[in-house]
Formats: sequence, structure tokens, C-alpha cells
Amino acid sequence: MAGLLNLLYVFLYAPILYVVFVSFSEDIVWPFPLSLTSQAYADLFSNSLYADALANSLILGVGSGIISTAIATAGVIGILRYPSKRRTLIIVIFLSPLFVAELLIGISSLAFNSRILGLPGNMFSAIAANAVEGIAFSFLIILSQLVRYDWQMDEAAMVFGARPARCFWEVTLPTIWPSLLGAFLISFILAFNNLEISFYNLGAIPTLPSVAWGSLRFGLGPELFALAALTNGFVFLIFAVMYVLMRTGLVKFGYRGK
Amino acid sequence: MKPDSTWRDFLTPFVLLTGPGTLFIGVTLLVPLLTVVMFSFWRTESYELYADWNFDNYRVLFGEAAYRTFLIRSVVSAAVTSLICLVLAWPVAYYIARHGGRYRLLLVLLLAAPFFTGVILRIAALQGILGPGGLINMSLGLAGFAPIKLLMYTQFAATIGHIYLYIPFMVTAIYLSLVNFDFALLDTAKINGAGPFRAFIEVTWPLNWIGTSIGTVLVFIPCLASTITPRFLGGPNATSFGMSLSQQFGETGTWALGSAMSVVMFIFSFLVIAVLKFTIDLRRSGFTGAGR
Amino acid sequence: MSSHDDTVSLSLEDICKQFGPVKAVDGINLDIRQDEFFALLGPSGSGKTTLLRIIAGLEHPTSGRVMVGGQDVTFMPPYHRRIGMVFQNFLLFPHKTVAENIVFPLRMQNIGKAQRDDRLSWAIQLLRLQGLEARYPHELSGGQQQRVSLARGLISRPALLLLDEPLANLDRELRAEMEIEIRRYQKELKIPFIYVTHNQEEALTMSDRIAVMRNGVFEQVGNRTEVYQKPKTVFVAGFVGQSNQMEGKVDKVNGGFLAFTWQGKKLVVPHAGDAKTGELVRFMIKHEDVQIEVASRKSAIPGNHNSIPGKLRDIIFKGQTVNYLVDLEGGMEIVASGSPRDMTLAAGDLVFAFWSQDTGSSFKLG
Repeated sequence: MAGLLNLLYVFLYAPILYVVFVSFSEDIVWPFPLSLTSQAYADLFSNSLYADALANSLILGVGSGIISTAIATAGVIGILRYPSKRRTLIIVIFLSPLFVAELLIGISSLAFNSRILGLPGNMFSAIAANAVEGIAFSFLIILSQLVRYDWQMDEAAMVFGARPARCFWEVTLPTIWPSLLGAFLISFILAFNNLEISFYNLGAIPTLPSVAWGSLRFGLGPELFALAALTNGFVFLIFAVMYVLMRTGLVKFGYRGK
Repeated sequence: MKPDSTWRDFLTPFVLLTGPGTLFIGVTLLVPLLTVVMFSFWRTESYELYADWNFDNYRVLFGEAAYRTFLIRSVVSAAVTSLICLVLAWPVAYYIARHGGRYRLLLVLLLAAPFFTGVILRIAALQGILGPGGLINMSLGLAGFAPIKLLMYTQFAATIGHIYLYIPFMVTAIYLSLVNFDFALLDTAKINGAGPFRAFIEVTWPLNWIGTSIGTVLVFIPCLASTITPRFLGGPNATSFGMSLSQQFGETGTWALGSAMSVVMFIFSFLVIAVLKFTIDLRRSGFTGAGR
Repeated sequence: MSSHDDTVSLSLEDICKQFGPVKAVDGINLDIRQDEFFALLGPSGSGKTTLLRIIAGLEHPTSGRVMVGGQDVTFMPPYHRRIGMVFQNFLLFPHKTVAENIVFPLRMQNIGKAQRDDRLSWAIQLLRLQGLEARYPHELSGGQQQRVSLARGLISRPALLLLDEPLANLDRELRAEMEIEIRRYQKELKIPFIYVTHNQEEALTMSDRIAVMRNGVFEQVGNRTEVYQKPKTVFVAGFVGQSNQMEGKVDKVNGGFLAFTWQGKKLVVPHAGDAKTGELVRFMIKHEDVQIEVASRKSAIPGNHNSIPGKLRDIIFKGQTVNYLVDLEGGMEIVASGSPRDMTLAAGDLVFAFWSQDTGSSFKLG
């Protein structure tokens, strides 16, 4: 099974490595024989289209991430802490976006915004439509972690004089923040890299995926590979830090074993 | 004194906490979907929608062989991809949950990390590896071998792409189910005479079926609606239902027909969910209800 | 806290709590005095925990009033009540140290650092937690966790301390030790303690007064000796202490006594209720009130005693006491409890079980 796991990692990371590799190559169609250059990185930073696209993608990611995490957290606390006959219904509602393809989310909000509301493509619609998907994922992540949380802990805090807000801040949040962070990251990435939802909601506003999509017709610009390589470098830096922290036992990230 | 006005009775903490999400999903998901359902009974003419109610879009959709082919192709492709992902993901998720130890979160995050690279770039990279001018076939060519035709612009290549994109969902869903599964139950089963395989079939599989079926849905639905992968990996004979659908909202501008296609796609997604839901017996799932 | 100088510190007025069709608490009236240790004793599902949660403000009663120090707090949220509480599973905040856990209530009341430190060292002293201040809860033993939990409950000198089966998760030895200790704190601090438990021994050991609860109502409220020796209902007699039960029709009522026939033997027992001749009664007598004598020494049994012949089946040695299991003719059994010092009998001996006519309690059935 360990072998299969490693194979899967190879399968998943081969294209990523390819992206990094190509970003340093002079000829991106057939990168052999090797001739490395950092030209793509220079182009990336000099072209304002990419800066705009990156900024828009970041706005989308952060906006959707915050909305998703906040709404999903409230929803999870609601169903876990306050028993209700409507609990199952709420779970179904919060998870329902998982069962609607991104393409359908994008197209239906395009249809509604442009034909019913008469709105042009705009950032708010795009953030909202992305957040719908983010809420479902966040809800799932937070719920799976919080089912084990003991809400009597909050009752104890309240008996000892903590008002609900203080109680959340002092007792609930310090325990559950890893799952909230996870939910934020996932919904951030989903929105940041989303093509189909964002594309139909943004019109002419560029994001990284839509720039990539647009340039696909003439072959991908090496700058995009460079950007992806940078993103991956950043992500793996974080993973490396996590690994060191886990290795030294400084942080456990929720793992309760030895 | 007891607060007894009716609006305060209605605004329980439960409603206050779950209300915003319900409202948000209602306005940004449900209402637009209903709009699409409505449009599917309308008519488009030169990029404009007209509200004369009819079934023409559905007639076209089921009457023309091309659309049927696209639909069947997408459904079959989604089913095959889900099945392959299921078979591959189980051992991987099991291994991480059982033997990942303190690194298991990191191992799962590693599966999700490719998402940091956008779909298009990853597909382009896959194309760069698999395609006719790609690493595999060019290397074969340089070494004097014939290229592997199967990898070049075929449904097979598109399926590899789908597996590549969506298997992390399946692994994560099964993993999340397994970390909440009590592996001591397996010892109980073994003490009572079940071999490893029997123990898996009798205990592990049924108790993690909900997570597995969620994973299946998470793979099936985006596959069904896939547009980018078949376009870049599948070649001319892999036009998917999703590609055709997005064309109706783009180049051809036949929104009403596109809406009807959306409805059909949604119905097929829903059918899969319904079938899987049918296999779930909550009382036998180990699910004891959330919270108290 | 408002300084209310009445001796009544908490009063419950006709408290009812309904969950759907279930009446968890059904018309409870109770006054808790300023310095008493009060036990709420009952089996699980009797409503005792619900009642405690109503007092803490974690539930609101469907009807009735909760008064603390003369003030109506029925719908006051828990964080304004300034009540202390100790929980069954301790519920220490896992991300806070022992010291941070203990001073939590003071911080919530915005009490200054200097005073907090002052109170902290007082609580650390009281509960003998010296040296553990910087530890985290998961680094403590069960007994230490419970002491931290008690320190947190007591640090703000609450008007009332609620204890929800605090010893249920501790092992037997530690429990016995903590029982004595908790009672000592209560006597020292003179804060009323309300102690919820399903364990009658715990209730008897620690409390001044006991309420026995079942199906949301109090079966009996009284001093511990009263509840033990003079149970008012069959349920209390069965739940508190261990009893033998005998049923029969009343043959005769004579002043404070009644006579009935059981297993062919005529028994004379105290008559407390209103059972009349011909009515069915149940007589209950605690194991330790029944004595035993070998058949050959029957003449040694005093006159005003009931006695039943039987055969000693087994002797259960329990350390401080011994239980004699006596088989009676007709398949019934009677248990007598005594001191192991006078253990001269052996299984198989023919014996008489006997007890004074003025011990035990009788209850009219139906």
C-alpha cells in the first residue's frame, strides 16, 4: 500500500515538476536539450496583465475564503450545539453545492445575473458564486473535526462568567482554529484557481486561470509556468516548515497519538 | 423575565447560526438554478431569450444523435473514472489513516497540494507529457520506437486527466471517514475469527461507506461536467456534454438550449446521488448523529 | 454577589422542565440553606442533572422560579449568575495551564491581576496543587484534574457550588479520599454545595441533607440519617442502602405496629402508612438490621423480635462487613449483614434470621 501511495504522489507531482522544469526552459514546447533561463520570471514581473490577474485572483480567493469559513463555521456550530429537528435539512442545504458541478454554478449565476438582474460581470458576483462552493467544502472540513468537540467546555466557561463572544474567543476558537484554517485555505485555493465559476461571473476582468485559458489558444505563455512554479515553491516551503515542526514534535496539528 | 415575543422565539441560536448560510446558498445557488430551469423552457433567437414556454430545447436535445452521444460519453467517462479512483484511493487513504502516524495530515495535504496549480496549467503539463510532442512519445521517438497512440488525444488520455484531477477528492473523503473510524473494531472482528479480508468486508467497508460514496459523488459530478480535460487531452472524438453545454453559453449563444442541457446534467448528477443515498442505511453506518 | 443575609441561599419554586412530551423535572420546591451540603440523589434519568443545569442557568425551566440570594435568576444567563460548578468529566480547558484554568472565573469577572494572583495562591494552597501551576490538564492525574476543577469552581467564592457527579470518573480509592476532602472544603468555606450523584454511599458520606429524586419529583427530602433510616417510599427504601423485601396482606393493625404473614411466618413490623387490615403491604429492612443465630440457640433470640428459620447458603466476606445469604423454605432468600468478628457460622448451617419488631419500614402497595 505504501508503494501505491508513492506511485500516486509521483503521478500527482510529475506534471507539477514538469511545470517547474518548463518555467526554466528556453523552449517550452520541447525543452530538450536543456538550456535554462530565468527569462520567464523576468517577463512575469514586467507584464502588468499578470499582476492584475494575480491581484484579482487573490481578491477572489481571500473574499471567498473569509465568507465561506465564517458562514460554514456558524452553520456547523448551529447544528452541533443546538439540537433541532431541522438539523438534517441544514446539513443537506450546506452540502448541496458539492453536488452541483462548477460549470453549472458558473452558468446558472451568469444566467441569473445577466438576464434577470441585468448585471455585468463583477467581482462581487464572482466572490459570492465561488463562496457557495467554498461553504460546502468548509462545512465538510469543519464538521468532520468539530463532531469531536465537547460543547460542555463552553457551558463550563459560561458558568464561570464568560459571555458567548468571550467564550468563543477564549475556549472554542483556541481548540478549533486548525480546522477553520484548513477550511479557509481550501476555499481560498478553490476560488483562487477557479476557472469555470469565475469566468462566467467576471466577464472581462482577468484572473490567473482566465489568462491561462485565454493564452491556451496560442500556446501557454512561459510566464504562467513561472508563476505556477513560484506558487508551488511557496506551498512546499510551508509544508517543509510543517514537517520540521511535526518532526520535532513542536506542533501536532490535531494528531493526538504519540 | 421570560422573553416571549414570537420573533424572538423564532430567532433561536440554531436559526441565527444556520440562517445566514441557508439564505446565502438559497440566493446564490438555488435561485440561479431555478432561473436556468425556467430558461430551459424558453427560446433563444439571435442571442436573445424569449419567454414563450415550450419543450423544443428538450426535443432537440433528445432528438439529435450528437447530444445523445455527448451525454452517454460523459456519463460513461464519469462512471469509469469514479470506479478507478475508488479502487486506487481506498488503499492509499487506508494506508495514510492507519500508518501515517503523526505525519498523516501532511500526507493528505500533499495530495491536495497540486490544487495550488490551476487546472489549466496541470492539464497543459499533462498534455506536455502525454501528447504527440510530449515527453513520453518524443522520448520514444528519439529512441527509435513508435509512439504510444493511446496516449495521444484519446478518451483514454482524457480519463487519465480526470483521474489526475479528481482522485485527491476521493482519497480525502475516504481518509476523513477512516480517521473517525475505530480500528480497534478490526481487532474485535479478528479475535472473533474473521480474516483480514472478511474483517474489511464486514466491518471497515460498511462503516466507511458514507465517506466513500461522498468521494464518489465528488469525482463523478465534476467529471460529468468536465470541459477542459477532454478538450485538451481527448482530441476530436472526445467532445463532452460539458464542452457542448458551455458552447451554448459562449460561441453559439443558444442560452435556452444550454439551460436545458444544464437541467439534464443536473438530473444525472442527482440520479447518482439518489442511487448512492439508497445504499446508505444510516442506522448501519455507525453514524450516531452529530453532537448530543 | 448581592449580600443577602437570609439563611436561605437558593430557593426553587415549583420548577418544571418539559422536553417534548417528557417531564424531566416536575414541580420541584427546595430551599438550600447558607452553609449546607446538599445531595441530589437519584438514578440516571431521574431529572437531577436537568435540575442542576436549571440552577446553573444552562437550561431554562418551563415554569417556576429560581431564586439565588433572594434575587430571581430564572432567566438570567449562566455568565451573570456567579455560581461555581464542578463537572463529571472535569472539563478543564485543554489549551490553558492549571493556573490559567483556575483563574478563568476571575478573569471573566475582570478582577485585577494582583487580586487574581492572591486568590490563585489561596486556591492552590487549599487544594494542595503546589508545583502544578504551569502544567497542562493532560499532564495531570485524574485526582489532580478533579482538584483543579474544584479550585476553578471555588476561586471566585461563588454563592453556590454545583457538583455534577464529580467523582464518577475516579477510581474507588481516590473517590473515598475525595469524598472526605470535598466535605471538608464545604465545612471550611461555608458555601452551600449542591452535589448530584447516583451513588447513595457518596450522598450519605458527604451531605447534610439528601433529596432522593425519581421521574422528576422528590421522593423524599431530609437529613441523611432520616432518609436512610426512615425512608418515606418504597423507592427510597430500595435505593438508599440495601434492603430485604417482604410482601403480604395485613392481618392486624395495632397502634404503631402491623402484623402480616410472609412465607407462613407471622411478622410484626412498624406501621407508618395508612395500610388497613386485608391490604397488601411491602416491608423493607436493611441488611445490617437483620441478625443471624444458629438454630440450636433459638432461645437466645429476644422476645420482641421476628425470626425466620432457614439454611445458610453462603457467606460473602466484604472486609468491614459480612453478608449472610440465608435460603428460606419456598425459595426465598434473606440477607443479613454483620461484623466479621463474630463469624463462627459455616455454609449449610441451619439458622434463624431475626430482627427487632421496631426496625424496618412498611409501605402500603397499590
